[in-house]
This record gives sequence, C-alpha cells and structure tokens, in this order.
Amino acid sequence: MKLFGRKATEGEILAGGENAIANKEVEGLSQGQIVRRRFFRHRAAVIALVTLSSIIVFVITALDTKIGPIRIPGWWKWTVEDIPELRYLDCPGGATGCPTFSINPSSNFGLGSHPFGQDDIGRDYFALVMNGARRSLMIMFVIGAVSGFIGVVVGSISGFYGKKIDSVLMRLVDFLQTVPTIIIAAVIGKAAGRVGPLFLALFLGLLGWTGLARLVRAQFLSLREMEFVDAARVAGASNIRIAFKHILPNAIGQIIVTITLIMAGAILTETALSYLGFGVVAPDVSLGLLISQYESSFTTRPWLFWWPGFFIISIALCVNFIGDGLRDAFDPRQRRRITKKDRLQAKLQNKAGE
Amino acid sequence: MLNYILRRIGVSVMILFGSSFLVYNLAAYASDPLAELRLSTDDGARQRIIALTRDLNLDVPPPIRYFMWLKGILGIFVGKFDMGATREASTVQAELAYAIPTTLRLVFAATFTALLIGLALGVISALRQYSRFDYGMTFLAFLLYSLPIFWVAVLLKEFMAIQFNNFLADPNIPIKWMVIMSIVGSVFWSSLFGGERKRFWSVFAGAFATNFVVLWAIDLTDWYLKPGLGPILIGILSGLAAIGITAVSTGLDNKPARNAALSMAGLGVILYYPLQRLFENNGSYLLIIALLLITIGLGYGSSYVFSKIDRGPIARTAILTGVVSGVFIFADRLMQSWTAYRETDAINYRPIPTYGQRNDQLESPDFWIQNLDVITHLILPTLALILISLAGWIRYSRGALLEVLNQDYIRTGRAKGLNERTVITRHAFRNMMLPLSSLFVGEFVGLVGGAVITERVFGWQGMGTLGIKAINGYDLNLLMGVNLLLSILVIFGNLLADLVYSALDPRIRLGK
Amino acid sequence: MKFTRSAKFALAAAASAALAVSLLSPAQAATRSTIVIHDTNSLTSFNSSTPDTNLTINSKVGALSGIGFYYIDNKKNVIRNTTFGNFKVVKNTATDFRIAYTVNPGLVWSDGTPINGVDLLLSHVLSSNVYSKAAGLGDPDSDNVPDFNSNGYGGTYNDNIVGLPVLSADKMTVTLQFKQKIANWDLYGPGPSPVHTLVLMAEGKKGLQSVKDNEAARDRFYAAYTTKNTAVLKAIGKVWSNDYNITQVDDKTNPLLWVGNGGFTVDSAVTKSSVTLKVNPKYNSGPKLSGTIDTVIFKFISDGTAAAQALANGELDVYSGQPTADAVAALKKLTNVNIIGGINACYEHWDTRVNAAPGQPDYNGLFKGHGGKGADLRKAFLLAIPREEINEKLIAPINPAAPILGSTFIAPGFDGYERLIANNGSSYYIGSQDALNAKALRLVRKYYPTASASNPVKVTVLVPGNNPRRAAEFALAKANALKAGFDLVGDVQASWSPKIQLSTYDAQFFAYCPSAVTQAGSNANFQLGGGNNRNGVNLPQLDAILNKLQLPLDNRAYISTIIAAERIINAEGLTSGVFLHPAVTAVNKNLKGIKPSPLSSDVVWNWWEWSY
Repeated sequence: MKLFGRKATEGEILAGGENAIANKEVEGLSQGQIVRRRFFRHRAAVIALVTLSSIIVFVITALDTKIGPIRIPGWWKWTVEDIPELRYLDCPGGATGCPTFSINPSSNFGLGSHPFGQDDIGRDYFALVMNGARRSLMIMFVIGAVSGFIGVVVGSISGFYGKKIDSVLMRLVDFLQTVPTIIIAAVIGKAAGRVGPLFLALFLGLLGWTGLARLVRAQFLSLREMEFVDAARVAGASNIRIAFKHILPNAIGQIIVTITLIMAGAILTETALSYLGFGVVAPDVSLGLLISQYESSFTTRPWLFWWPGFFIISIALCVNFIGDGLRDAFDPRQRRRITKKDRLQAKLQNKAGE
Repeated sequence: MLNYILRRIGVSVMILFGSSFLVYNLAAYASDPLAELRLSTDDGARQRIIALTRDLNLDVPPPIRYFMWLKGILGIFVGKFDMGATREASTVQAELAYAIPTTLRLVFAATFTALLIGLALGVISALRQYSRFDYGMTFLAFLLYSLPIFWVAVLLKEFMAIQFNNFLADPNIPIKWMVIMSIVGSVFWSSLFGGERKRFWSVFAGAFATNFVVLWAIDLTDWYLKPGLGPILIGILSGLAAIGITAVSTGLDNKPARNAALSMAGLGVILYYPLQRLFENNGSYLLIIALLLITIGLGYGSSYVFSKIDRGPIARTAILTGVVSGVFIFADRLMQSWTAYRETDAINYRPIPTYGQRNDQLESPDFWIQNLDVITHLILPTLALILISLAGWIRYSRGALLEVLNQDYIRTGRAKGLNERTVITRHAFRNMMLPLSSLFVGEFVGLVGGAVITERVFGWQGMGTLGIKAINGYDLNLLMGVNLLLSILVIFGNLLADLVYSALDPRIRLGK
Repeated sequence: MKFTRSAKFALAAAASAALAVSLLSPAQAATRSTIVIHDTNSLTSFNSSTPDTNLTINSKVGALSGIGFYYIDNKKNVIRNTTFGNFKVVKNTATDFRIAYTVNPGLVWSDGTPINGVDLLLSHVLSSNVYSKAAGLGDPDSDNVPDFNSNGYGGTYNDNIVGLPVLSADKMTVTLQFKQKIANWDLYGPGPSPVHTLVLMAEGKKGLQSVKDNEAARDRFYAAYTTKNTAVLKAIGKVWSNDYNITQVDDKTNPLLWVGNGGFTVDSAVTKSSVTLKVNPKYNSGPKLSGTIDTVIFKFISDGTAAAQALANGELDVYSGQPTADAVAALKKLTNVNIIGGINACYEHWDTRVNAAPGQPDYNGLFKGHGGKGADLRKAFLLAIPREEINEKLIAPINPAAPILGSTFIAPGFDGYERLIANNGSSYYIGSQDALNAKALRLVRKYYPTASASNPVKVTVLVPGNNPRRAAEFALAKANALKAGFDLVGDVQASWSPKIQLSTYDAQFFAYCPSAVTQAGSNANFQLGGGNNRNGVNLPQLDAILNKLQLPLDNRAYISTIIAAERIINAEGLTSGVFLHPAVTAVNKNLKGIKPSPLSSDVVWNWWEWSY
C-alpha cells in the first residue's frame, strides 16, 4: 500500500550517518580517484565495462586485421571471403547452413565448424557477425569521438565567449538540426556511389554533436560566473587556461555521460539507417545490415536473426550501463548506496556518539 | 518577450531558407529520376522521358529550380501556396494533409501512454532508489533503449498478432504457462512493494495466488472469446481505483474526499444498466464527450455534498475516480462488441492485425466495432513505439526526481513536519515536471519525423513513409515538402520548449 | 494489500496476452466470395496511361475493369478475345499495311450502353503526335503538357500510322493503315474506351444517364473527333488527364468514372490502403466469369515481410512479390496457402565491354576490340562466372525450377526456346564448372601465359550496391573466377545504372526487365546506336540480322533469326544470362485459377477464371 513507503524515521536516523560515511570516504582524494572509486562501486557498470571490453577484444582478435601491408591473423578459421561448402543435411525444416554449435553431449558436442551457421552462399556466419560487430563498434567509437570533439569545442567556445559568437554558433546548431539525418544520409549515399562504413560514421558524427554542444554551452554559461573562475582570472590565467583547466574539468562528468549516450544511440542509428537502405550497404557488413537482411529469417533460420541482434543489444546495453555508472560517479551530490554494513556502522557510530 | 519571440522567428526563417536551399540542391544533384527509364526498352519510355523532363523541369539547373519551388512556397503570402506536384499525379499538400493526421494519431497515442507509464515507473524507481525494483527498472530501461525497433516489430507481430490470433482460435492457457505468468507477475509486484525478505515473500505468495486464480478464471470462462467486466467487476475495480486515487491525491485520512470518490464509483455501478441502454444504438463521440462532461459535473457536485471547505482536492479526486470508472464502463462496452467484431467477414476470427491503419473491408457501421478496429490496429505500432520511448521516460523521470529530492526545500518540507505524501506530490513532483515538460516537446517533435521505421513496418502512411518514398522515388517536391514541415516543427518545437520552460520556471528569463 | 488486486488483474490480462505463445490450429475459414490481392505500391490513379500514373498497380486495377481484342497469358502469348471482336490484316504490301478491327454486336458497357467502333477511336487520339498537333491539343514533344497527357505518344504506332483510322458505315469496324509491315502489329491495335462518359463528364454531368443520352454523347465525340474540334476535345482531354487521379472513392464519387466493360467495376477506394471492385452484372465482353467471386480488393502493403505476415494472419488471399529465401520458406510453412513459384520478366546477366560507349573516353582494357584477344578473354570471363552455383544457392531456395538462361532474347518456356538454345552457341558455356574453368584458363593463358589463381588477371566489375543478392552473386563469382585466372575487382555503386557506360569497367552485371513481348525488344542492347548498347558493340553483320526482327515474322523465322544473332553474340562473349528473377505468389488454399504472369499484369490477367 505504501507507494511512498520511505520511513521518515529511517531517513532521519541515517541522514547524519550517511553524510559522515560519504565525507569520510572522499577525504584527501583527488577528483579522479573519487570518480574511479565511485565507478568501481557501481556493480552493474563494472560488469558492463568488463563485458564490453571482452566483446571488443573478442571481436577484434577473431578475424584477420589488415594495417597497410601488415596482416595480423585472427584466431577464427574462416574469413568473410571464404565460401565453404554449405551445410544442407540435418538442418531443421530443410533450412540450409544451420549452426553446428551443440550443447547436447551425446551428439556433436562443441562449437563445430560454423557455430553461428552459414549465410545463403555458405559464408561462415560467425565471421560475418564478427566483421559486422567490428564495423558497428568502429562506427560507434568514431561517432562518439567526432561528435564529442566538435560538441565540446563548439559548446565551450559558445558558452565561454557568449554574445555574438554564441548566437552564431547556436544558429549553426539550429541549422544542423533542421536538416534530417536520414535525408542527408540518403542523398550522400546516392551521390557518392556508396557510403563506406567509415565515411558514414564520420558523417553521422558531423551531424550528431548538436545536443552535446548545447549542453556544454549551458554548463559553461553557468560555470563561468562562478567565483573560482573570477579567482583564476584575477590570478592572471589566460582564457584558454581558464576554459580548459578550470571550467572543463567541472563539466566533464556531464560531457562523458552524454557521449556514452551518443555512442549507444549511434549503434542504433546505424542499424536503422541500414534497415532503410541508407546506411551501410552490401557487400559491406554491419550488425544493423545483417539483421535487416535476415529480418525475414525469423521463423525459418532464426540464428541469422538472433545473433546480430544479440551483439547489438549487448553492446548498447553495456555502453548505457557504463554511462550510468559514470553519471553516478561524477555527480558530486550523488550518495553511494548505503549497504546494510554501512547502516550498521552508522548506528554504532551514533550510539558511540550518544 | 514578444520582441524575443519575433527575433527568434526571424532567425528561424533565415535558417529555413538556408537549410532548404542546401537540401534541395544536394538532393537534386544526387538523384536521377530518369535512371530507370534510360534502362527501359519500352515503347513509351522516350515519351516518358520527355514528359518527366517537362514536368520536373529537369532542364533547369537545380539552384534556379530551387527558386521556382520557393516561389510556390512564398505564394502563401498572396494566397497561392503551392508546394508543387508529386511524381505520382498528386500534390504535395494533399499528401501531407493525409500523412500528418496519420502520424499524429500514432504518435499521440504512443507518446502519452509511454509518458504516463514511464513517469509512474520512473517515480517509483526514484523513490525506491537502489532497491530491487529500481535495479529491475534500470535494467529494463537500458534493455529497451538498446533494441532496434524493427527487430522488436518482427517479434511483436509474430507473438502478439499471429500466434495470439492462433491462440484465440482455441484459447486454452496451459497450466505451465499459468504458472510462469503468475511467477513473472508476482516477481514484479513483490519487487515493487519491496521491503525485507519476509515482506517480499508474503507479497509474492499473495500475488502468485491471485494471479493464478484470475488466469484460471479467465481460462474457465473463455474470457478471451467473450470478454467483459460486468457491473460487479466494474464496481470492484472502480472502488479500488477510488481508494487508490484518494490515497495519492489527498491521503486516505481525508474522509470527504474518500467518500466522494467512493460515491462516484458507486454511481458508476448504479448507472451501468441505464448506460448500456444508451450505448445500444447511439454510440458516437458526441455521446462520449457529453458523458465525460456530465461525469466532471457530477464529480464537482459531489464535492459540495461531502464538504463545506477545501473542495478543490475533493472535486479533483471525485472527478478522477469518475473518469476512471467511466473508462471501465467504456472498455466493458467495447469488450461486449468483441465477439461481433471477430465474427465479421473482414476480421474472420483473426482480430489482431499486423498491418495497416484500418480494416477497409469492415462494413459494420457500429460505433463500437469501428472503434475496436481502430484500437486493434493501434495496438502493435503503439506498443512498439511505447517500448522504445518508455526507456527514456523512466530514466528522465527517475533522474529528475532524484535531483529534486536532493534539494534543500525538500529537506525543509520534511523538517517542518509535512507528511511524505505531501512532500512528494506537492513539492518534489511539481518541480520534477519542469525539465520534463521541455523534454516532452522535443520528444514529440522527434517522434513525428522519427517514427519512420515504425510506420514502415506497420504500414502506416505517415510522414516517415512519405519521406522514404520521396527519397527512393526521386520525388524532389515531396522530399522538400516533408523536409520543410519537419524543419519547421524542429525550430518551433525548440522555441516552444524554451517558452514552456520559462513560463514554468520563474528563474529563467528569455531574451537575455 | 487491497490496492494490488485491481492492478494485478490488469497485469494478469496484459501478461497473459503478452505471453500467450501456444501454437494451435488456425481459425476456420468462412465461405468467401471476396478475394484480397496484395500489391506493393498504393494506387495513385485510375488512369494508368499518363506519364505520371504509369504504375503497375494502376494498370492492374484497370485490367479488371476493361477488356479488348486480346490479352496476354502467363506464357507471354497473345490470346485473341473473340467474344469482344475480331481483327485481321486486310491489305499486306511493303508500303501499305491495313488491319480491320471489328467489334461484335450486343456487347455493353456497365451502364448498359452498347459498345461500337466509335469507342475504339480514342486510342488514336492518345497515341498519335500528328493528330494531337493537328487538333490543336499540343505537341507532345514540346515543353507544354498536351491536353491528353498520354504516355502513348511517340511510339511505334505513331511512327507508322497513316491518316485517321477509318470507321465503317455500320460503325462496328475500324481500319488502321500503317506505312509498312510492323513486327508485333497485333499489339498496336485500338482498345475500347467509354467515350460517352468522357463527353458527359466534360459537360459537367455528375451521374449515369440514359442509354439514349449516352449514345448521343458518343456521337458528339465522333463529330468532334472527325472535325478536330479543339474546344470539345480539350475539355475531354482535361477529364481524361485529371479526373481519374483520385484515390478516395465512395458513394459521392461520380459513377461515370467507373463505366467499363470488364468483369468488375470500381466500388470504393481508401487512399493508400485499398481499392474494392464489385462484379459487373452486365459484363459480356470477354470469357464468362466463374461466378463465385463478387468482390476483388487490392490491398497495398509496401514491406515484403509485413505482407507475408499479413498473409499468414489471413488478411490477404493473394500475395505476390520477390521475397527472400527465408520469406519463401516461411510461406511454405503456412498451412492455409499454396505457393506458386514463378519468375518475373527481369533477367540477370553479365555484360562485357568491347569499346567505349558513345561519348565516353577510350577503353583500353583487356577486353578491347571484336574478335581475337578481346573475344577470347571475354569468353573466358563469362565461362568463369559460376552460373550453376549462383542459381543453386541464390535462386533455387526461392524457385527450385529456375533454369540457367541459354538466351537473353527470349525466356524459357517460350515456343521454340529448346531449338534456340540447342543452336545458338550457348552450349559452349554449359558444363561442369571445373571443365569451364579449365577451358577459360586455357583461353587466358593464350595471352597471359603465367595467369593462375595466385597470379590472376585483374577485371574491374561494376557491382550494383545495396542489394544483398547481387553482393552474394559477386562473392561467388569472385571466388570461382580466381580458379580461371581472373581477379574480379568489384566497384560497388549504390546508384549504378548511369555508370554502366563508364569505360572504367570491364564488365557489369544487372538485369533488364522487358515489360512487353515485342520481337525487337533486345535490339537496343547490341545494335550500333542502340539506346542500351553501352559496351561499344559494333558488328554490322549482327545489326543486319537484328534489323530483320523489326518486321513481322512467324515463330519459326523469329527463332531462326535469334539463333543467327546469338551465335555471333556468344562467339564474341558479349553477354551471358544467369537467371530470371524469381517471384513468388502465395495464394489462399481455397482459391483457384491464379496463374501469375511474368509481365506486369502479374496475377490479374485471367480474372474471369478465379473461383473459390
């Protein structure tokens, strides 16, 4: 029944104790240390960070990597160019290229040669998914980096200098917001013959920074009126120094969180554009392209539909959780979760105080 | 203020001009409407190339063609507004006039439902920060945030329409599923109510038993085939709603409010049979609106009956309760038409469609059947949109409320002895709505242009579908029409969001 | 705890709905007399003969509401509709070629007006540039839209017609005169149009009139037609060009628009959603209706997967499309539908470059020139395309019966196809792929003695982008061509069609989709100056053979001519057909008589045969 079931008494008991715990914990630590500590206490975020790093390592090492003339071999036996024999036999319902992965200990236990199955012409689907995940991750990071960089630079210039510069830059933001991404993506795709994944990512990054710029600007507008900025100015600091050494560190939390949101959104934007045929196009591979290509496989060859979906969701989920962890970690007002142990300690302290 | 708005509008017009010029030229240089015809070996291809070049002015360079287009648009000032013709023998205005209401219908339903549910879940989540429920909701929100919408759509169609329709042909719920569903439901409720381990399990047991019994009853009575609530169930539900609404709105110790709400619920039951008579042959939106007004009047009246002072909150509670029980009665009436709807030729026992806005073959003029048709067609796309935007609202409202709860005035409120309900609903909730209100404008505007994929997979002929068609069909006028409308929406959406924010928050002054 | 219950009840309902995933028997089918046909595009107009409205869906709806002297069946044969009338050549010399078209007596439009020869004359107005100019209706080639905004101007009919069609005294026969014999002359005959309705609408009438008034209106048309009365014709042209461009039809719509002589007439339409046609009780212009269908509905669903799911959900009776292998497999699982495998008119083929296309920079790649090195390498290249494997992996899952193409002129199943492929030199390209690869490698080594899989010769190929099937096709080709000593370098272009002619590419692959059944349809691909000759083919001997196809030929002569042409084409290694694009039609099990055609008429060509 108690929708607002917070017991008032508990709050009062804990109020003093909590603050004591929180204050004690940050005594004598730099901001970086505090943030790191707080972040590592956010269990979901840590799990997400570990998972995402594992996915990245897994995905990157699976296939051959070409850097110029150098070729670093991957640990997976197939590449996306190989066209091995297509598996026809013993697939359910007469499907082709079903996964060889089996957890049934009595028959073919283990990964087999094509754990995720094969596509129409026999290419190894694990290799395709790995290749797609690589592209999707690349797109995600490039968009994050490009949007993040432009957003921070434009936002801070706009917020720091204000006046004319600000209004010009903000109109530029308005301008970019009126140009629908999808139309530009389509137009550029048609004009350039095709949009390679890197080009697509750069371009989405160039369009995707407007929200971040507004946010950074707002932060700068309020921070530059703070006393510590005046103090720095009186001490003779240059504008650049004030902006980067004094204001930016105070806004960094929000910025990082927003960038993680942009990145999680980027992977879905890529998926949506590819679905509509304006993003990554065949024969390039991305996770979004794979699912949209095998959308109709849902009832017949479900593995072609589920695996890319699984990777997209995992990656986006991890990035979101990491963002959440960072938000908590950077928020100075955020109090950590009070565990039972802390509560007990607080009670003991209170008793001791009495 | 007016000065500020005018200046913003002036700048916006300049921006619109620039962006439309850019888009027009990009699109014109990138597209080749004649590509397909050039490959054609048809007898009529030559004539069609001549006609197309003539109709689309392909012999005029795009920058100049842009001004021809602009001339039509600027015609709005002399009453000759012309957005040009599409490539398919229609005008852009006609296409937009068709698409806008379609998109709005879809987006309205979804945005509001997502907002309500998301707000509720987010608020509870914030109030129970770091509880099992909070973690569950955080996870749910992030999961939903990470789903590609067409991926969800395929699943929804398969399970909520095709398989569900199959199920409806012979709706027997296997015991296994009853158990699974009951467990899922009880986990939700017990984590919602939280508390220590003992409390968790007692709620779990209660919820499990109730769930199971309800499912059992549904199965036994073939409720899916002949759904309905009936006066008794409506009475119980309205009574519960009355108590719930009172608890949130005024607190249960407010006796007059409680009595007014309960009496409204009772009134609903008493009026059930007379209303059925009224509904029989006169279903219309006018009637529904009239009934709504009467309900509001009755609710207001009941505050006079039950109290002499402080009638505002009492009236509010009574009206809300009245509306809720009205909704139950309305839902009940719709359910009564369910069998008739399923049995129509057009539906042919498969009531949940996967595609389209309406079933055109539905010949029944019956108000309730027509409305059921609208509702069944809205279910899947709305659900897809809700799933996608729910996540945002859960996170936003949770974050906003947590932010507010950390403020000094909340501490002050508690310190001066206000009860928790008052602190939350009066002080915290109102302040939390500030940032959300401007977000709402943005979200809504975003969805109008952003429901592209949902419209496409569910076959709604809205703005998104139109945009895609324009791009794929090299239909420049249509593309510009869609683009112009969306740009205007974005620009004025931003302006509106700023205005709303400054109107709600006295600390913000625009134009500085 | 009371509060929980109501919410729980709601939750139980929601949860059970969400989780109800039991596979049970589908709903029972009711007796139906309605057929719901899927189409990808929405209807945009009820007149499909203007340049803006020339969409297949528009013409499909038109096909149900009108029938003339002939129709084309699912094997692309022209079948005469003798119920409507007859036509025959009445004069046959090299410079004077006349055909008489006679309408049978006793036939009526759906408003009861008898049909006669005057109803055939509008065709001329819609096809002849000369008439349009002479009657003051505008020059179709100019910058101004002609009053009859028809897409029929400027074609074979216009190029060959002499004078006005002549109406006989009993007004039942119309005779056309052409200045020479023309191939497929039977396709250029006039079709019936209810001209009286156009006149009445031009005069502002909003409802059906009496038969007497209708016949008087028709006479007014005839008078205006013969005297070239610009004012009257302009008014009619306005109605013809604009009034049919509606998509919403209800009781208030002018019924004059729907007068026709087909088995069905338009009853209602909902914009972007559907068109409903009801049976025409007065229909007597063609084969007898089966009688069990009284309503035909076209429902528009653009997304293929969505359409298949709608079919599974019983919302459609006929689904046709070009789905993926999975969609077909999913359709096959449905218990309530039959799958009719099919093909559409598009044929996928690989082309090789000989010389630069007109206006393009010189081509100096490895395939340059006719005969000798160029021809050998072109042949080797085409041998190295694994057509069998492509067919088996990409097409067979959709249409198991799809053959490898032995000709790019006519499709398998056409009369004489077997004789054609036995003699046209296509057998050179048939065999086990290993043997073909070996043959190809020998040819390559004549010019590049060290060519091998590890030291291949580079061939630049234009790859049409944004198409998973073509991406897979190219991957297969690339993998196999290596064995024949070729390294295919693909350049993927999303917007590829304008780039076919670029000298950058040694080879291209894409599809042509002939929409008619004309003899000379492929000429433009190979003749010097032909609109589709983008690979610099210049063979006077071939041109001479192809020119013969411009004249009417019987089947035997037609096939022999193609054999002669294709022998040259195959010996030069100019093109190689791979597969016909598969199409699939899935039909409600209870519905009979659906026979999809590869032409744009698709499933609607035999509407009189449909039955439950």
